[in-house]
Amino acid sequence: MISVRDISKVFNAGRPNEFTALRRLSLDVQMHETTILKGPSGSGKTTLLGLMGCMARPSTGRISLNNREITSLPERFLTEIRRSTFGFIFQQFNLIKGISALENVMFPAYPTGEKFSTLHKRALATLEMFNLDKRADAKIEWLSGGEAQRVAIARALINNPMVIIADEPTAHLDTKLSQEFMDIMRDLKARGTTIILASHDPIVYDSDLADRVVEMRDGQVVHGGTGP
Amino acid sequence: MVIERHLHILDFTLSSLLRRKGKNGALLLVYTLIVFILASVLFFTHALKREAALVLKDAPEIVVQHTLTGRYQPIPVAWGDRIGKINGVISVRPRLWGYHYDTLLMANYTLMVPAENPPGPGSIDLGSGISRTHGANSGDMIAFAGHDGVPRMFTIRKILDSESQLLTSDLILLSEKDYRDFSGIAADQATDLTLRVRNPREYATIAEKITRMYPDTRPIMRSEILRTYDAVFGWRSGLMIVILSAAALAFIIFAWDKATGLSAEERKEIGILKAIGWETSDILMMKFWEGTAISLTAFLLGVILAHVHVFSTSSALFAPVLKGWSTLYPSFRLTPFIDFGQVATLFFLTVVPYTITTIVPSWRAATIEPDAVMR
Amino acid sequence: MALRRSTTYLGTTAGLFLVLVGIFLHTSWEVLASRPIYARKTALVRQLELTDLCLFTEASYTRHLSMTDPSTPFQDAPMSLEHFPTGALVGPPRHLMRNHGYGD
Repeated sequence: MISVRDISKVFNAGRPNEFTALRRLSLDVQMHETTILKGPSGSGKTTLLGLMGCMARPSTGRISLNNREITSLPERFLTEIRRSTFGFIFQQFNLIKGISALENVMFPAYPTGEKFSTLHKRALATLEMFNLDKRADAKIEWLSGGEAQRVAIARALINNPMVIIADEPTAHLDTKLSQEFMDIMRDLKARGTTIILASHDPIVYDSDLADRVVEMRDGQVVHGGTGP
Repeated sequence: MVIERHLHILDFTLSSLLRRKGKNGALLLVYTLIVFILASVLFFTHALKREAALVLKDAPEIVVQHTLTGRYQPIPVAWGDRIGKINGVISVRPRLWGYHYDTLLMANYTLMVPAENPPGPGSIDLGSGISRTHGANSGDMIAFAGHDGVPRMFTIRKILDSESQLLTSDLILLSEKDYRDFSGIAADQATDLTLRVRNPREYATIAEKITRMYPDTRPIMRSEILRTYDAVFGWRSGLMIVILSAAALAFIIFAWDKATGLSAEERKEIGILKAIGWETSDILMMKFWEGTAISLTAFLLGVILAHVHVFSTSSALFAPVLKGWSTLYPSFRLTPFIDFGQVATLFFLTVVPYTITTIVPSWRAATIEPDAVMR
Repeated sequence: MALRRSTTYLGTTAGLFLVLVGIFLHTSWEVLASRPIYARKTALVRQLELTDLCLFTEASYTRHLSMTDPSTPFQDAPMSLEHFPTGALVGPPRHLMRNHGYGD
């Protein structure tokens, strides 16, 4: 369980452009469930995803992962947890251009020092899962939108994460590709993966995939925060 | 594990560098060229200095010149008798030598009467450079116009060994009688005096005594001759400083471009890598490899090419500069003396600063919070 | 599977490094082997009482660097600065500067 207690996040603290993204927010995310954060842009969804995914630390409050307090851990441990526990799918995919799809999928595993041959095999197998094995050597900019999206998902899966975090995954996709994305998420969920999605796309938050929809506004949970 | 991690990061760096093949290839090329020029200069000058130090250590201990109106003049042979009486001087020998300009080939030769084993009257020994330009060999007859314009015929006794070209390429050795007749120098005069001295510690005292005895003489000590060649290609001399400062400038431009050149795209990529689980140390390691991949390769290539250039092609690229206007140029092959300290210095002057200037600007980018890519 | 990039790079670097080491080893050998040549050269220096290397033959003051006097490089007229190219390569010997003015 990811348990978020009383967290606030202030950006540019003390400067004229100070901005509070989250205010005293509490939330529990159950493992093996799919949680969807819903709300207009600027409501703090992305910030919350970043904090839960160990990408940043809250200004106040605590977050614990499976009863382990993670807010006070040093950066190195945080990175370690991020790498082994979470797989990220970004709004813009954030793939590294000019480099092959296969290598992009392998990057998250580089710091683990996994043997090249096994990693290579695993990455190919992951691409194969998404029917991308023939595009393995293609550079990112040669891929179609759908292919790039699937490479981004493959990259998120390479370290066998417990939790998949996706921020507005369908924002740049047409309806067909959005449905395809949801199908993939359904597959993952069936395999027991915890999924946290942030979206203001009805295809996402109205889908049968959601175990829980948390509605956010102005950095606070307005609906669906505590308990099922 | 740790090694595999390094290899992975190196894989990434190389993939990343290969994206801009043209730019990074040109960078490598220019960098190699700079190292090549610097290393060539270092190798060449060091080898020459060693050569001079090794062969000139047996040069005359003291040479005494006679100066008149600030130029050196023939010295009266009789002065040698008085100088020879100075304590510590073993022997004094009047040395006869001078220049001859060959109007036909427009080349300068050095005429010299050897101290030991001079050719007999009417015959000469020729330096290999002259023998080459004249196409003359031992046994041939050769004519040079003397001071009075009248040509004199000489039989070539032998050609001096070409292995000593760096000393003898332009020499014409002849007997004292022939030289006096050829140059018109009076019988009681010599070009300068050479002294043999018993104790090296007495050089300075003896030189002082000579200048006191004959204020219009200039004694040149062997240590000064040796130092001349040690300093002549020093870091601060002549063209060397031009070459070095040009290289330094080119390097500064590089470094500046690097230090200020972390583009928004690069910054974003660093953010992505951090977000997907790379640590700050991994990013810095990646930047370290980026600097190393270029600079180490350039260093190795540059040094190898410079070595081939200086010691296998006899500094073919420097030759036009070194020749100046001389028509007679020794085609010497240098013995490859290498100062490993210099190679190490070159390494620290090229590879290390470049690598550091690659890492340092990425330091701040490497410590950004990874959630920046989500915002 | 194509060769891994890091393998190619490290292999190339190791290769270049070995070439460099090879060159340096060969160099040391050549230096050792040139000893008899230097013995002959120093004997020649003694026999001919040589004081200089025959590097630049274009001007007397660069041909016999250590024997030159201060006025030769500057020729005869005040405006006639030294004009041989090789004069730009080599500086004047230090003892010339120190003894400058002696016996003028």
